[in-house]
Amino acid sequence: MSIRGIEMHYFAMCHRKLWLFNRGIGFELEHDRVIEGLVLHDQAYSRLTKEVSLDEFTTIDTIDGDIVREVKISSRMEHADRLQMLYYLYLLRQRGIEKKGLLSYPKEKKTVGIELDAEGEQEIEQAIKSIDSLLSGKVPNLRKKTYCKKCAYFDYCFVGEEEDAV
Amino acid sequence: MKRDVFMMSGGRLKRKDNTLYFVNEEGLSRPLPIEQTDNIHIFGQVDMNSSMLHLLSSHGVQLHLYNYYGFYDGSFVPRKKQVSGFTVVQQSSHVWDNEKRMYIARQFIQSAVHHMQRNIRKYGAEEEVSSYIGTLSAHAALLDEARSIPQLMGIEGQCRQVYYGSFNCMLKGGWKWEYRSKRPPHDPINAMISFGNSIMYTAVLSEIYKTVLDPTISFLHESSSKRYSLCLDIAEIFKPLITDSIIFNLINNRRIQEKHFDQEDGLVYLSDEGRKRFLAAFDEKMKSTFKHRQLKRNVSYRYLIRLEAYKLIKHMIGDTVYKPFKAWW
Amino acid sequence: MFVIITYDVGEKRVGKVCKKLREYLDWTQNSVFEGEITKGKLTRCLAELKKLTTDDDSIYIYKVENPKAIEKIVYGKDRSFEQLFF
Repeated sequence: MSIRGIEMHYFAMCHRKLWLFNRGIGFELEHDRVIEGLVLHDQAYSRLTKEVSLDEFTTIDTIDGDIVREVKISSRMEHADRLQMLYYLYLLRQRGIEKKGLLSYPKEKKTVGIELDAEGEQEIEQAIKSIDSLLSGKVPNLRKKTYCKKCAYFDYCFVGEEEDAV
Repeated sequence: MKRDVFMMSGGRLKRKDNTLYFVNEEGLSRPLPIEQTDNIHIFGQVDMNSSMLHLLSSHGVQLHLYNYYGFYDGSFVPRKKQVSGFTVVQQSSHVWDNEKRMYIARQFIQSAVHHMQRNIRKYGAEEEVSSYIGTLSAHAALLDEARSIPQLMGIEGQCRQVYYGSFNCMLKGGWKWEYRSKRPPHDPINAMISFGNSIMYTAVLSEIYKTVLDPTISFLHESSSKRYSLCLDIAEIFKPLITDSIIFNLINNRRIQEKHFDQEDGLVYLSDEGRKRFLAAFDEKMKSTFKHRQLKRNVSYRYLIRLEAYKLIKHMIGDTVYKPFKAWW
Repeated sequence: MFVIITYDVGEKRVGKVCKKLREYLDWTQNSVFEGEITKGKLTRCLAELKKLTTDDDSIYIYKVENPKAIEKIVYGKDRSFEQLFF
């Protein structure tokens, strides 16, 4: 099964989101934060960059040919951003291409360099295994996290009815 | 936030670059902010072309057509952006399996009856309220024993009979309820119910289309290729909650009167002014908000319909069991 | 949120800016638009405007988080364009 970069990101953030997204039950389209992210992406990539297609699902953006860059609104999910970047570097390495990663958070004027070392490679391989088994199972239960409120899936996840009010 | 607009007069809907304009019969052109438009409802005779429809499509705007009498005629629905084959398969499996289908269908009726009772409690004359509510509860209690969809439909029909019977204790100002007539509606109240149903149907269609649910696969109503039958299912919940309460308010506050109806060969329908009054009230109601207990923030009645669709998706995919919305206040 | 956007841009770009704003907001008066809009859409609208304008142009954006907090008083002819019926 081929895993998309965004799915690697979701895996680090919320298994339930990953599962739903993977089955086409997504809520990104109209979500305000997602729209903002897209605008940011467009602005950041207008110059200097070249889109490279890895497979039918994954495109990455490169600058100067040897740095893979990913722009994000905030660094609150840095661990997930990192995993996604490691995954891109991993996919490239499998194709015999060595590159470095750069996470950039223009709103915070912050950048983080990322390299795929042996440990990172192992982490990705482990993640791929976990994702495969997770996706073949039932929808993961709702686990409330601090960042649920900002998620595009919030309404879906939290809507319900209290026990029959008479 | 996005809004619905209603084209009551003749004219032309046109696209110029990426902006949408309505040009009326006098040639006056007015822009419509496409990014803020949810649905366009067409009552008058309006010209349009494919380039305009492409614009609607790229912004996910739906267009609904109503005939001369205000009855629903059809919709232009853009290509669905959100698709999940997985969900459609699950949705179908809940129709194939009679037990599963009955469960969902039953929930729709239970919610509908809950909202019918709520209207009676809210608008009914005190001395008659408890008897009607009691009778409805007695009928609804049989829902659990029904073993087939026709049986459920039968119970639903009986509930509706009782509910309509209670209209006379809810209507003020000399309005009398006689009986339900659909094609054609024979009196103003029936005309309003039919009109309200058309509008509610398109509202539900518009919300369901923004989700991964397939609007043609339904549970209570038979799925048929001609209609978005899931909209009929879900509308059962919202007709008494939203449209009926609008009807009672319009009548009881004398905002709609006999003069707002026209008649032709025994067919009674809302006049242009009557339609505007109804639609303005409907639009206001759909935009109004209340605090949602789980989401802990204000949601509009329109969004409530979407949330109902989300709960159905959860049910289909084995996430959480579906419980219908029941207004608790 | 509710926004009021006013602009003063070079003659050549007036039409383009006006047209762009028409996609998102209601036209109030010459060079003034207003309306409710989500944060994401506003970001997108402004990003698109930025592409159409130069540094000499100016665009003012007045934001009100709670649309209910704004009171609008109109003298003379009310060109209330946020309408339901056409």
